[in-house]
Amino acid sequence: MAFDHLLFLGALLFCIGLFVVVTRKNAIMVLIGIELMLNAANINLIAFSSFDPNALQGQIFSLFIITVAAAEAAVGLSIVVKVYKYFQTADLDKINELKG
Amino acid sequence: MIELQDIILPKGDPMIYWMIALLAIPFFSFLTSQKIGSKAPQWATFLLGLNTLLAIYLTATHWNSAALTMRGHWFKVGESQITYSFLLDRLTLIMSVIVNFISLLVHLFSQEYMRKDKAKPRYYAFLGLFTFSMMGIVLFNDLLFIFIFWELVGLSSYLLIGFWFEKKSASIAANKAFIMNRIGDIGFITGLMIFYTQFQSFDLEVIKSLMIDSEIKDGNWVAQFTNNGQVIINTLDGRWLSAAGIALFCGAVGKSAQFPLQVWLPDAMEGPTPVSALIHAATMVAAGVYLLARVFVILDAQALEVVAIVGAITAFMAAIAALSQFDIKKVLAYSTISQLGYMVMAMGIGAYTSGLFHLVTHAFFKAGLFLSAGIIIHQLHKLESKDVMFNAQDMRVMGGLRKHMPKTFFCFLIFALALAGLPGFSGFLSKDAILLDLAVWADIKGGGFYIPEVLAFGTVLFTSFYTLRMILLIFFGNFRLPVIMQKNELSNELKDGNWIMMAPVIILAALSLGPVFGLTLNPEHSWFVEAMPTPIYLVPAVYAAKSLVDVSPETFEALHGLVNAVSIGLALIGIVIGYLAYKPNAKLEQEFVERREPRGFFGQVSFYHWYQDALYTKAILKFVMLKAQALSWFDKHVIDGFVDGFAKSQVIFAHLMKWFDRYFVDGLVHLTVFTGGRIGQLTRSIQSGNVQAYILTSFVFLILLMLYLVF
Repeated sequence: MAFDHLLFLGALLFCIGLFVVVTRKNAIMVLIGIELMLNAANINLIAFSSFDPNALQGQIFSLFIITVAAAEAAVGLSIVVKVYKYFQTADLDKINELKG
Repeated sequence: MIELQDIILPKGDPMIYWMIALLAIPFFSFLTSQKIGSKAPQWATFLLGLNTLLAIYLTATHWNSAALTMRGHWFKVGESQITYSFLLDRLTLIMSVIVNFISLLVHLFSQEYMRKDKAKPRYYAFLGLFTFSMMGIVLFNDLLFIFIFWELVGLSSYLLIGFWFEKKSASIAANKAFIMNRIGDIGFITGLMIFYTQFQSFDLEVIKSLMIDSEIKDGNWVAQFTNNGQVIINTLDGRWLSAAGIALFCGAVGKSAQFPLQVWLPDAMEGPTPVSALIHAATMVAAGVYLLARVFVILDAQALEVVAIVGAITAFMAAIAALSQFDIKKVLAYSTISQLGYMVMAMGIGAYTSGLFHLVTHAFFKAGLFLSAGIIIHQLHKLESKDVMFNAQDMRVMGGLRKHMPKTFFCFLIFALALAGLPGFSGFLSKDAILLDLAVWADIKGGGFYIPEVLAFGTVLFTSFYTLRMILLIFFGNFRLPVIMQKNELSNELKDGNWIMMAPVIILAALSLGPVFGLTLNPEHSWFVEAMPTPIYLVPAVYAAKSLVDVSPETFEALHGLVNAVSIGLALIGIVIGYLAYKPNAKLEQEFVERREPRGFFGQVSFYHWYQDALYTKAILKFVMLKAQALSWFDKHVIDGFVDGFAKSQVIFAHLMKWFDRYFVDGLVHLTVFTGGRIGQLTRSIQSGNVQAYILTSFVFLILLMLYLVF
């Protein structure tokens, strides 16, 4: 029942990621949570690619995601650096300039 | 049938430029004198001299030519064409000469008389306006224009009588003259309206032509003519014909100071003395008589009777009033009213020529009397100083001036004798002419119409009496001023006027001599009477008065000797009584000096001019003032109350509106704003700025969406 386990692992990882994203105060921790959630999605894609053994489209797609995630991490981190420079903090609770 | 438009066709003539020049020069003087300033006296006198020369030249060249009319169209209202027209006939010519000549002499005299007055430019400007207005009345042959200039004469007399307006009495006198004239003018304008209603034109030529053509049918006055080809039949009750004449006469009553409006004239003495000379001789008061002469032919029998009776009453009343005055100018003023009464009466009895003749002779000797009185007043004023204060017009401070001012005395004597109507002087001729015509008229009319004759002859007696009284009090006896002031040196300081003042007086004295108007004692042979025949009446025969022209010369001849004898006799009696009463050291002369006002009923009636002023004050003025007060009360309480109440209700309404505005309209606006705000607050609370909350919410909703999609 490797397939089911994979799905559970993905779901667990996603939940952990979501939990990290929602609860951590530091922007870098939130970024890390997002990485976790992306990887959870990758696990799901890989799990479902077992239904397509010839093309393996899921695995290819997850490779794309890893690439995009890397780029995203770079952009995200640089934004965080800028934000930190501007606000002198990376605490998301304190960066609420957009409050209506 | 007469076509109205044919009569009023425009008629050009080069002479019109001369007419306009006659009007324009005094008006130019009026416009420029004020600007010129210190040289105004010479400038204005020069202009008037020019105008006088112009008038004399016109008279010389046109005396024997036929009457000339010049006419132009002014404006048109609907079908009625308003025109202006000049008439150049002998009456116009002789009046222009007299008006300009007297005005010139007054200008000349004023050079000295007003020398010290600061407002000289204004004075000369007004004199110019006065002459201009009078020339307008003289030259125009159109009732509308005569009325316009008539009002201008009223205005300029107001300005000149009130020339020293800082004096309260002068400004009151000016107002009085103005208001009295306005009362007369109501009559004048009524006359204009009646004639316009009947003949649809103000042009005197139209009125005269249509008057001949109009007729009396069943007691109605019917005028039939065509206007632009359209037949017009105007019918009025016949009495309107008399009413129109009487209404026009009302204007003359105001201007020529006739009973009952004559009270303004004695008060008009508040003006400078040369102005009095101008008003009393050539302008203003002459205007009324001149108007009567112009409309003479369209007056009907009843109107003429009214004119005659009013004239006779005025002549008599004023002669009585002149008997006991203290003020030299008041005596002259009443004598003017009296002589004007003669002129008006002459017009009323149909003695057109005699009336105008008296107007001319009177113009010269009355201007002379005023100017010589002006010299006396002016010279007496020079004696005034800080400790010598007196009224320089009061005859009580004069006396014995013959020795101090022989030239003035001599001239004054000539004027006075002309006024008294003694043979050899101009006044005799004209007065004799009037009295003769009056005697013939009374004989024709009979009955109660002898009363004017009695009044007129009585006036002759009184005239000579007050004239002699005036001469005796001013020139004979002792100079009373030094006695009153107890300063003997004053009597040495009094001298004759200088030549600027004497020259006009001497010229007028020469013109007041009888031979100027003909070397004869019979006015019939005077060149003036021969030059100005009495016109015949143009009113419909039923209403026309019996013309004196139709009376045979024998009737006149038969009465002439008697009238002459009676008038000379009465004048001499008056002189004798006057001499006995007021000769130096006589009882009356002594009493006169001491009293503040004459005693006795007769003296009081005379001094207060039949209490006419008091009557007006008590009966009319009081009534008018009461009415004014009542109106003022009504205005203050009813009209103002209404306005105030209205304003108050407005304020209350405004307060209500304010409450409604504040609580209702504003409440609605506030409610909208409040709701908007609340909704805004509600929605902005979602925008917490917390990124993690957004993410969480997104997921929650995503999950909810998926749950919704799945189940």
